[in-house]
Amino acid sequence: MTFISRTIAPIVDFLAYIGALWKLTWQTFLAFLRPPWEFRPLIYQLDSSGIGSWSITVLTAIFTGMVLALQFASGLRPYGASMYTGKLVSLGIVRELGPVLTALLVGGRVGSGFAAELGSMAVTEQVDAIRALGADPIKKLVAPRVIACMIALPLLTMMADLIGCFGGMIITVQEVGVTPRFFYSQILETLGIVDLLHGLGKSVFFGYMIAITGCFVGLHTTGGTEGVGLSTTKSVVAGAVGILISDFLLTKLFIALYG
Amino acid sequence: MEPDRPSPYASDPIISFRAVKKAFGPKVIYEDCTLDIYPGETITIIGGSGTGKSVTLKMLIGLLKADEGSISAFGTEVTTLGESGLLPIRKRVAMLFQGAALFDSLTVAQNIKYPLREHHWGDEKRLDERVAEVLDMVGLPGSQKLKPSELSGGMRKRVGLARAIAVEPDVILYDEPTTGLDPINVRRINGLILSLQKRLGVTSIVVTHDMDACFTFTDRIALLHNRRFSFVGTKDEAHHCDNRYLQEFIAGGRGTLDEDVE
Repeated sequence: MTFISRTIAPIVDFLAYIGALWKLTWQTFLAFLRPPWEFRPLIYQLDSSGIGSWSITVLTAIFTGMVLALQFASGLRPYGASMYTGKLVSLGIVRELGPVLTALLVGGRVGSGFAAELGSMAVTEQVDAIRALGADPIKKLVAPRVIACMIALPLLTMMADLIGCFGGMIITVQEVGVTPRFFYSQILETLGIVDLLHGLGKSVFFGYMIAITGCFVGLHTTGGTEGVGLSTTKSVVAGAVGILISDFLLTKLFIALYG
Repeated sequence: MEPDRPSPYASDPIISFRAVKKAFGPKVIYEDCTLDIYPGETITIIGGSGTGKSVTLKMLIGLLKADEGSISAFGTEVTTLGESGLLPIRKRVAMLFQGAALFDSLTVAQNIKYPLREHHWGDEKRLDERVAEVLDMVGLPGSQKLKPSELSGGMRKRVGLARAIAVEPDVILYDEPTTGLDPINVRRINGLILSLQKRLGVTSIVVTHDMDACFTFTDRIALLHNRRFSFVGTKDEAHHCDNRYLQEFIAGGRGTLDEDVE
């Protein structure tokens, strides 16, 4: 009995978490669509979450592109195919590593920030105060963050794609000896609009995932400052796990739809 | 109570709790919470720490849902209302939170304008005037541009109070208004509660541990003990009541009885 209940309890908890996340998602989109529309908080969040994340995105992208080029160049060399490094690097970055690594890094930065901020607000009764003063915390706090992340993540991913390919090009030119023009033509040959949309489509979902997880965990914070710390950790772990699981499912879906 | 003030108890109660039950998991807060609040009175809820005094206030404005029973405010049943249905109640019943719950990212003026905007008080000029007015009332004129982090504990409470009274509520709920303050600020806040009561004629529900203050401004006292209001009555009735817990509470001996409460 104990064994069964111990096995079932986490599954029930997980399903309850998914259910609560969907409920918050539904409430968030309804709240966002309901007038009055306030754009100032959205722009503020776009600035702090989106523009504020460009430096880590650049850093992640350029090194990912470079290390990918190094690996492929040396891996393909025994087969005499290292000149095709550009094809693999660009495909890997645009379809997979650009969106996923950007989401993981931005998720760590932004999602934990949301959880800490909303968590502090929850434990100091500021969330209750919003309700008591006649406003809706989901409209005021959650909606601008979720929408801002859904806009910012694809933009950051596009930047990561460009910079990642640029990093890959530097290393490929140096290691393999191809010209930048050749590398560029290989990218054009390999990548179609579907590949780009595949990556960007996933990043919109990752943006939603990061924000909704951070906000959900933050709003449900209890237990004072210790609770805020726990929520911050939980949001990073839950966000990253959510990104990785949804990445697999979305990739499967996109491949089934468009190949 | 002011001698020339008409007795509020002649009219019907504006707020009624009837057989309310509330539990958080296994911890039962209320088994049978029954209480009437009359217009214009000041009632103080006392009781041991962790007995759920604040829960009464939060259930009244729908921040917490009662498990069973009925809570009515101004003739409306609160327990069945959703967030949008609660708006008219929240406009008439304002709350001063224990830690003031000011929004850290906003200035004092923006904090006070927050409920005014939500309740469509008027244009920006009218809002600025109202902010200046209520800051004057709480003795903090000219502090519009300060951030909550620049305020002392007492000032935060006063700004919280200014924010609560800004929309001209009929009822003000005070959740431990003087907890954690120095004696000067305690006196200042108590004085404010008293003066607001006189100037605005509002109904006040105060949750406090401060018995001295309680006897200064309250009309009635409600004692929360054993998951129900075991005593509700005037100050005089409280003094002459044979409820041992209440007498010990008044005498300041509540430390010895906290175990009973648990």
